[in-house]
Amino acid sequence: MTAVETVSPRGGSALLRRLRREPDLAVGLAITAFIAVVVLFPGLFTGYSPLAINVDKSLEGPSALHLFGTDDVGRDVFARIVYGARITLLVCAGALAAAAVIGGALGIVSGFLGGRIDMLLGRLTDVVLSFPPIILGIMVTGILGPSTTNLALALTVVYVPSFYRIARSGAISETGRTYVEAARSSGLGEGRILVNHVTRNVVPLVLMQCVVLFPLVLQIQSALGFLGLGVQPPTPDWGSILQQGKDYILFAPWMSAFPGLAILITALAFMLVSRAVQRRFDRR
Amino acid sequence: MAVYLIKRLAASVLTALLASIVVFLMMRSVPGDVVGQMLGQTSDPVATQALREFFGLDQPAWRQYLGWLSRVVSGDLGTSWTRGQPVGGLIGSALLVTLQLSVATLVLATAIGVPLGVVAAMNEGKLVDRAIQSFTLLGLAAPVFWVGLMLLVGISTATGWSPPLLYVSPAQSLRENLSIMALPIVSLAVLQAAAYSQFVRQSVVSAFSDDYVRTAVAKGMTRNVVFFRHVLRNVAIPLVTFMGLILVQILGGAVIIESLFSLPGLGRLMLSAIETRDYPVLQGALLIVVVLAMAVNLGVDMLYRVIDPRVQVG
Repeated sequence: MTAVETVSPRGGSALLRRLRREPDLAVGLAITAFIAVVVLFPGLFTGYSPLAINVDKSLEGPSALHLFGTDDVGRDVFARIVYGARITLLVCAGALAAAAVIGGALGIVSGFLGGRIDMLLGRLTDVVLSFPPIILGIMVTGILGPSTTNLALALTVVYVPSFYRIARSGAISETGRTYVEAARSSGLGEGRILVNHVTRNVVPLVLMQCVVLFPLVLQIQSALGFLGLGVQPPTPDWGSILQQGKDYILFAPWMSAFPGLAILITALAFMLVSRAVQRRFDRR
Repeated sequence: MAVYLIKRLAASVLTALLASIVVFLMMRSVPGDVVGQMLGQTSDPVATQALREFFGLDQPAWRQYLGWLSRVVSGDLGTSWTRGQPVGGLIGSALLVTLQLSVATLVLATAIGVPLGVVAAMNEGKLVDRAIQSFTLLGLAAPVFWVGLMLLVGISTATGWSPPLLYVSPAQSLRENLSIMALPIVSLAVLQAAAYSQFVRQSVVSAFSDDYVRTAVAKGMTRNVVFFRHVLRNVAIPLVTFMGLILVQILGGAVIIESLFSLPGLGRLMLSAIETRDYPVLQGALLIVVVLAMAVNLGVDMLYRVIDPRVQVG
């Protein structure tokens, strides 16, 4: 999605050459593009409704009629995964965007201003980071109550510190550069420096962090769903489908196998893209 | 070193204190409490009032917190509201399960991941390297609970065996305990072995491009000799830090795996405490997790300074 823009600075032929040189990036982008199409137009892939219950057809194995089989109340597992992509990935992307904006803004301000604000925010970050991510996620969703909103909130809370740290160190190193000093001595106001120079240079770091963190967010999102603390049934969500499949694991393994595979492939695609983006960053 | 240690400890205690306040405030900020759960919806106001008083829920939040804190400082984590047992004992027995799972996972993941990473790095760019890197990517992308589920299905369809449902402690019967713990340990270890192998590969590859290695190779040493004499020692240092990181991750992953395999560890304890709004248990368990994670980080930091004398004590 956003990754497509970062690789094509000089038009189509340069992009093609790069993709040929880096097959992992090509695969990653291809899968990402496919997933984007699934998210945007789920109706293209299945005629079944993800919610239609048909008890007569419960727990049927994969067949031509039901590609991934049916679940305990006869819903089509393939349809649930296709429609689930939208909810699962939107929650992840939304939480990541919120964490990037909040953590990024706080980090830039903290690194630019330093002093008390920096100290205070640093302490708060330490507190959040003192919990292992998944346990923090369980705590927030568990105490506030399981719902899609609280799931997104929990994921945001978990990932704000990573963005804070990246943005803060970026802002500190940017603030120390000679050009900032030059801007300052030529009479540019602090606010303008913060927005025009520091922020502009920190934004790419934050964007890259989004790509790097996406697979991790997906893992935690689906783990919380699996624990029953995420998106609530009957809404299709990959982690929640796995949670419902757990009790039938030995009789109907297809209920669990396919949603897990969807998570794996999506995470893999983003990891391939993020590795390529990181390589490019390192070379610079 | 001692001054540094004291500074770090003080910072950790402060962070843990702040964390416990955050947890406390969160728990009190949501509607519904243990009394409502116990008495159901149509409850008698007199009984509700009496129970709230019994649990101290009628007191202002800050007083409840200070009461909890002063007892914790004297080593008493309180009594479970729903089970009536001391929280310390509940956490203790759960902690043993989680620690067994975590430590065994760490050992297994290290034993698989480190050699894989080394082999990949020594054969950089070759087929072996690519195969190991593919495994690494798959291991990192697969959800840990899904790996557990698939292993469960795979093994039970192949052999007809599935792990016993009731937990047995290693003290009761080591054999039975291992047959219960094997799958959880393996499922957790796959992911962490992948993380290890990626990290080790990267460290070794970058060590091989360092000047001291180039000098050694120029002198005529073979890659293998250079590896064992020079690279290994330098890779060991970042590896210690990474181990700490992995251990904290395992602690988190253990929570999910415990719930999947019905192991009575910290994760299960926390989830059931959340469900029943058993605040003392949840607060205590979270405190222990935070302290454990901090202890691991602090321990790693200390070890790092012992192994590498170049690190300045500050």
